Amino acid sequence: MSRLQLEIKQLIIDALGLEDIAPEDIVADEPLFGDGLGLDSVDALELGLAIQKRFGIRIDAEAKDTRKHFANVDSLTAFVEANRPAVA
Amino acid sequence: MVEFNIERWQAWAPGLECPASWSRWAAAPWPLEPADAQPAVDFLPAMQRRRLSRLARMAFAVAAPLADGRPPMPLVYVSRHGETPRNYALLAELAREEPLSPTQFSLSVHNAFIGLWSILRGDPSEMTALAGEGDGLEHAVLEAAMLLAEGAPAVLLVVAEDQPPAIYGPWIDDVPCPYAVALLLTPGQDWRLALEPPSADAEPSARPHALELVRALALEHPQIRHSWKSRQWNWQRTH
Repeated sequence: MSRLQLEIKQLIIDALGLEDIAPEDIVADEPLFGDGLGLDSVDALELGLAIQKRFGIRIDAEAKDTRKHFANVDSLTAFVEANRPAVA
Repeated sequence: MVEFNIERWQAWAPGLECPASWSRWAAAPWPLEPADAQPAVDFLPAMQRRRLSRLARMAFAVAAPLADGRPPMPLVYVSRHGETPRNYALLAELAREEPLSPTQFSLSVHNAFIGLWSILRGDPSEMTALAGEGDGLEHAVLEAAMLLAEGAPAVLLVVAEDQPPAIYGPWIDDVPCPYAVALLLTPGQDWRLALEPPSADAEPSARPHALELVRALALEHPQIRHSWKSRQWNWQRTH
């Protein structure tokens, strides 16, 4: 598990109040929403906000690809990696 | 005047979680004080429980035991101050010009609890959220009595108040501690509630009306009077 991936899992747990879940319980290539982890639409908004705050990435809720980026931890990690502002 | 039966009641406050502890308190009330405690509500799955504020947890904790094993029924919820901690958190985010948390926002409204109750219990019955003054309890009873008069076989009444954030201290002086009370009301004549002109010696209750009522129920007092502004409420147990 990469450091960024672990950070994202922890962010999901903290932002969404998943008190009984540890980072290793979240399977990186399993769906976050619906089946898989079982998150809902309010979680999607909350997680989008958390990603925006933590990584300074602007997320367009209407964009076609947003749903794809939020599919699972793997896709979210790749999205953050590709879009986070370069650290000086 | 309205008439009804109080089939069962349930109450929660820090350190007062079972009927026996309420009986002890009723017999010799000690001062209720602010606390960080909140009810466990372990009966709700963790995924459903995680977003509940203390206010909603308290409301679930008192309402669920009265609803378990019964068919769906209307619910009347009343709170004077509502989700003050959530609202304060949202206002603080606005002041810092930060985006608002969607979870906080969606659950900060006054009818959030009845929505959660309806969804988590799968109960589509009519549900009402009232914001009352110091006598919100009595107004909620009127609302419930009207539902009974319309033919509801039972109505669940929930009063809940959370301890407000400290910054509201100068304006909110009627929440000694977080508390919630639920009443299972059914048609009948055991209790009579009437609004009367205030008597000359009427004084505001020392404690929130809902807790005064719990005390009367625990001690089986036949009568209590609650005064609020120009309204005097007379509760009488007829037998």
